[in-house]
Amino acid sequence: MATVPWDGAIPELLREHLGAAVLDTHLYVDQPFAVLTLAAMLPALELLHAEADFDYLVDITAVDYPKRECRFDLVYIVYSHSRNQRVRLKAQVPANQKPLSAVPIFLGANWLEREVFDMFGIEFAGHPNLTRILMPDEWSGFPLRKDYGIIQMDNTWVKNNLGIESGQ
Amino acid sequence: MKQFLRRFLLLDLLEGLWVTFRHQDTRLITTEQYPSQRPAVSERYRGAPRLNNHPETNETLCISCNLCAVACPENLIVVGSVRNAETKRKDLVTFTYDLSRCMFCGLCEDACPVDALELTQDFEIASYTREGLIWDRQALEEGPRPTQYRQ
Amino acid sequence: MTTSPDANELVLNMGPQHPSTHGVLRIVLKLDGERVKSTECIIGYLHRGVEKIAENRTYVQFAPYVDRMDYLAAVSNGLGYCLAVEKLMNSVAPPRAQAVRVILTELNRIASHLLWLGTHALDIGAITPLFYTLREREEVLKIFENYCGARLTTHAFRIGGLQYELYEGFEQQVNAFCDQFPAKVDEYEELLGGNRIWRERLRGVGVLDAATCKRYGVTGPMLRAAGVPWDLRKAQPYSGYEQYEFEVPTRSSGDTLDRYFVRLDEMRQSVRIVRQAVANIPTGPIMAKIAKVIKPPVGEAYVSIEAPKGELGYFIVSDGSTHPYRLRVRPPSFVNLQALDHMAKGALVADVVAIIGTIDIVLGEVDR
Repeated sequence: MATVPWDGAIPELLREHLGAAVLDTHLYVDQPFAVLTLAAMLPALELLHAEADFDYLVDITAVDYPKRECRFDLVYIVYSHSRNQRVRLKAQVPANQKPLSAVPIFLGANWLEREVFDMFGIEFAGHPNLTRILMPDEWSGFPLRKDYGIIQMDNTWVKNNLGIESGQ
Repeated sequence: MKQFLRRFLLLDLLEGLWVTFRHQDTRLITTEQYPSQRPAVSERYRGAPRLNNHPETNETLCISCNLCAVACPENLIVVGSVRNAETKRKDLVTFTYDLSRCMFCGLCEDACPVDALELTQDFEIASYTREGLIWDRQALEEGPRPTQYRQ
Repeated sequence: MTTSPDANELVLNMGPQHPSTHGVLRIVLKLDGERVKSTECIIGYLHRGVEKIAENRTYVQFAPYVDRMDYLAAVSNGLGYCLAVEKLMNSVAPPRAQAVRVILTELNRIASHLLWLGTHALDIGAITPLFYTLREREEVLKIFENYCGARLTTHAFRIGGLQYELYEGFEQQVNAFCDQFPAKVDEYEELLGGNRIWRERLRGVGVLDAATCKRYGVTGPMLRAAGVPWDLRKAQPYSGYEQYEFEVPTRSSGDTLDRYFVRLDEMRQSVRIVRQAVANIPTGPIMAKIAKVIKPPVGEAYVSIEAPKGELGYFIVSDGSTHPYRLRVRPPSFVNLQALDHMAKGALVADVVAIIGTIDIVLGEVDR
């Protein structure tokens, strides 16, 4: 299976407004995705929300590629009820750049971004309450990073809070 | 008027009591008197594991292929075998199954090519100790022995 | 209980050990008298790191774990996962497998809604319905047990199709259930919906209109109760749902009472789908022709299904090996729970229990 070019109104709209910031628009297994620069991500979400009626933010997640220069991929999935179409937007996160929070556009982004922060340590600028959500607040380390072992844990936290030497 | 009569003659109450009374019928009682009455579990129930022996020769069916151990998501099966110099086959020596971590997904029995490992209908596998849930080859061949209480 | 500097404000901890938080949800309520000023959900008590586990298991090995997220809808979880991996491998389950998947998933929807109904009524103070709903749920669980050998964490489906062929008497058992079940739904409706206390207790509580639902990303019965007829089974049919005739029940006011009605109607529609599916189960193989060792090609896919609680999505990134490189679960409960703050603001403390119940959360899925 290979990717096929994605034509239609959405990629045209993205290219028209964001120009060179749109790096790639393709379909893979019939699912459209667009690769953008991180700076263009929030404008793209805003654009899709306002111009193309993408009114439902399905998910925000990240993927860790520790060997790459820009370590993380940030993935946004948006859906339009009126078009019945789902679009995936991806951007690489450079080490010195913080992605902007999508909360002003989609309220549902709040917890999703907190989870990405909790699991990967990606900080979102402008988030109203960027704290850990699933892990305890004092936990150190980001569990879904590739260099975090499957049985690894924050031993100091375990010792202080559970009173045992190790959780294993 | 009709409403008043109903209320006066306590018809609603009697109707409700009739529903309650109807359930006195023994056929409608669903409570099982465990342990004297055992529940009938389905044929495909995934319960305690068993290592099957050949019904006639009473030799183990296991060919020590290790496929169950590879299939297990929790890595809780350990198969120990030695290569038999005569038959050039692997003979089963030990077989350890850690029930305390088992989630009864059935992937090991799906993987078994000779139907040696099987999840049976036995469901009484509680133990007082964690160690008691680590079953060796003997326990797997004999199956669980729940304590029988008699009056 | 502590009082904060604002003398009128009372901070109250609800949970994690509270029977009506449906698990280990902790909510910090800020109260002004009986009114809720704000809520803060503290979750993660049941976090097991399912997404991390996925990266350390093969595709086949991970399948039993998905049952343990939304454990009341294990079959739906399994279906979503299998469809996602099949999408990555570009394979489709054979028609017979698809029909059986639809039957079991719809039965699971009924079972999930039944347990929701019983516990929701229990939270509000109606104790009897729980016994009735558990009685009917038992029939569904018996079908699951007969089919795949487990009642709760079923692991019923495999990537590419099914592991088990139908057992003898499956059709009869499912038909018998479908024959007697609609009358039971009417009974619940009479018992609860016909009760004025129930109606008045729920009307206007936890209102969430369609626009707010969309802003929060709320899906499932909550969105449909606000009047949006959006159901993934209709919008983007999977597993052969396009062959079946059914309606998407909606209501208009988006309050707790409407969500109750929507879920009852959904159970009726599920019975309708099951009837159609069981009447003509195609013959043929139950497993697609796929390699023994599952190695999807490099790429990524997002597949979602309409789980009983909303849109359940799986986003899988494959690097061509036997293990998923990254597996993300988009849990409906997690996203829906976010709307709690909006719904509870200004409500009475006693309504918070009703609002938690109406979201229909399973903490196993919220925390994963």
